[in-house]
Amino acid sequence: MENVICEVIKNENLNKDHLLLEFENNFKEDFYPGNFVHIKIEKCFLRRPFSVARFNKKSIQIIYKVVGKGTEILSQKTKGESIDIIGPLGNSFPIYKNKKICIIGGGTGIAPLIFLSEELKKFNKEIFFFYGSRNRNSIFFSVLPDGIDYIFSTDDGSFGTKGNIFDIFKKFNGFEVIYGSGPEELLKKISKFSKKVPVYLSLENYMACGMGLCYGCVVKIREKDNWEYKRVCKDGPVFRADKIIWR
Amino acid sequence: MKSLKTKLGKIELATPIIMTSGTFGYGIEKINFIDYEKIGAFTTKTITYNPLRGNPQPRIYETEYGMINRIGLQNPGVFYFVKNVLPKIRKKFKNIFVSIAGRNEKEFIEIIKIIKKEKISAIELNLSCPNIEKKQRMFSQDSETTYKIISIIKNETDIPLIAKLSPNVTDIKEIAISAEKAGADIISLINTVKGLSIDLKRMKIIDGGLSGPCIKPVGLKCVYDVYKVVKIPIIGIGGIIEGKDALEYILVGASAIGIGSGLFSNANIINEVYNFLENYLKKNNLMLENIIGYLNEKDWLI
Repeated sequence: MENVICEVIKNENLNKDHLLLEFENNFKEDFYPGNFVHIKIEKCFLRRPFSVARFNKKSIQIIYKVVGKGTEILSQKTKGESIDIIGPLGNSFPIYKNKKICIIGGGTGIAPLIFLSEELKKFNKEIFFFYGSRNRNSIFFSVLPDGIDYIFSTDDGSFGTKGNIFDIFKKFNGFEVIYGSGPEELLKKISKFSKKVPVYLSLENYMACGMGLCYGCVVKIREKDNWEYKRVCKDGPVFRADKIIWR
Repeated sequence: MKSLKTKLGKIELATPIIMTSGTFGYGIEKINFIDYEKIGAFTTKTITYNPLRGNPQPRIYETEYGMINRIGLQNPGVFYFVKNVLPKIRKKFKNIFVSIAGRNEKEFIEIIKIIKKEKISAIELNLSCPNIEKKQRMFSQDSETTYKIISIIKNETDIPLIAKLSPNVTDIKEIAISAEKAGADIISLINTVKGLSIDLKRMKIIDGGLSGPCIKPVGLKCVYDVYKVVKIPIIGIGGIIEGKDALEYILVGASAIGIGSGLFSNANIINEVYNFLENYLKKNNLMLENIIGYLNEKDWLI
C-alpha cells in the first residue's frame, strides 16, 4: 500500500457511457487482478475506489462511468494533471492453472475481469468470458485481451445474444473455476454454482478509508456455523461466493 | 521534535498527534505511508464486553465537507482484544489508549476489570454510547450519569481515564465539569455530531455521526468553552485535515489533537500536521506547551 502522485496519461471516452483513465505507474509494488486504487478527488471529502483494469510497469488503467459528483470531476482531468492515489488495495483473485475457466460479468464490473483474464491467459488455454452489456455501445471492445473466447449478450440485442448474460452462461457446462464481477443480481445468481465449483466474486460497496480502518464497507460473510461483517476493502473485494450472505 | 512534546496529565507524548478512536482500526493494519514515529498516541476502535457485529449497511455516506457514519461499534469484544490484538500493536505505538463502551455501568466495570491488568497508557471512555438503563440516552448527555459512570470506574483503576464527550448536549461545560469532578484525567472533545443524510439513489436514510471539516467549528467551540472551566488537559478532535486545523485546536486549549476521518481524505495528514506545527514553533521560537490555550480568553485575563 502506497500513497503516490501520478500524472494522467489519458482520460477519454471508451464508449458512450464509460471513460478510461490511464495514469503513470509510480507505485513500487505490483498490482494483481482484483486490487483497487483509492483516488482523491478535489471537492470531495472521501476518495473514490476503482478496480484496476489494466496494469503494466509504466501505466495503470481504470474504467469508470460518471455516476455522481466524484466521477464527474474525475472525468474532467486531462493529460499531465496530477492525481493523488492510494494503492494497491484489497486482495486479489486466486489464479488457477490448467483449468476450464469461466469469467462472467457485466457493465462497469467488467474492469477487474480484463486484468484477470490477461493474467489467466498465461496459465490456461480454455477461457470463456461471458460479457453482459446494455447495448453494443457500452462494450469495452478496445481493451479486451485477445486469445479468449468471448460470449456477448446485450439487453437490446444490438450485439451478441439478446438478453441476460446469466441465461446464456447457464447453457454451458464443464467449467472448473468461475470468476465474476458486476451487478449484484448477476453475482447472486452466479454464486449458486459455488456448490459445484470454486466461484470467486469481486464485490463493490461505498467506502470511506479503503484501508481496513473504518469498517464502513462491510458485507455479511459466513464463518463456520455463523457469520460476521467483513470489510470489502481489506478482507475483499474478492470473496468466495459460497461465503457471501446476500442481502 | 523536542518542541512538539506535550503532556496529558502524567502521560508524556512525543508529539501531540493522536489517532482517534474508530478511524484507525485496532492499529493492526499496516499503513505503509504513515510515519508511526510521528504519532504521539493511538486510540483503539471502541471495545465492548461482548463482541458486536455492528450495524447493517448502509454504514457510511459522504456529505458536503464530511461524512456520516453508523458503524455500530463492530468489535471482537474485550477478551479477544486483550489476547489477540493488544500483543500485536504494543511495539507499534508509544502510547496506546483503549477506547471502551458499555451499555450500562455494570458492563463498563466488567471491561475495566479485564483491561486494567494490561499495560496501556490510558482508557478512553466512549460516553457517546447509549445507556440502556436511561432510555438509550448517551451517558455524556447528562451530567449526573457522566459523573456516576466516571467515578465508579475511577474507583476500579489507576490507569488514566479519558472522558470522550459528545457535542450533542445543551451545555458542554456542565458535562465537562462533572467529568473532572468524577476523576477523569483527560477530556477528549468532540465525538461525532448527530446528523442525517438521504441517499436518494438507494432511497435510504443514513442516521449517524457527522465528522470531517464541517464539524471543526463545533469542535473548536467545545474545546474553547471547556478549557475555561476545567483544569485537566483536553484532546481536541473534529475536522482536522491539515496543519493549521491542529494549531487552531491547540490555541484554544487542546494539549493534544486527534486525527480521525481526515486521514481518509488527506493521506499525508500526519506529516503535514507534524511539519506545520514544528515549523510554526521554530519560527516563533516556542514550545508547544507555550501555546496551549493562547487564544483563549482565560489567558488574556491573566
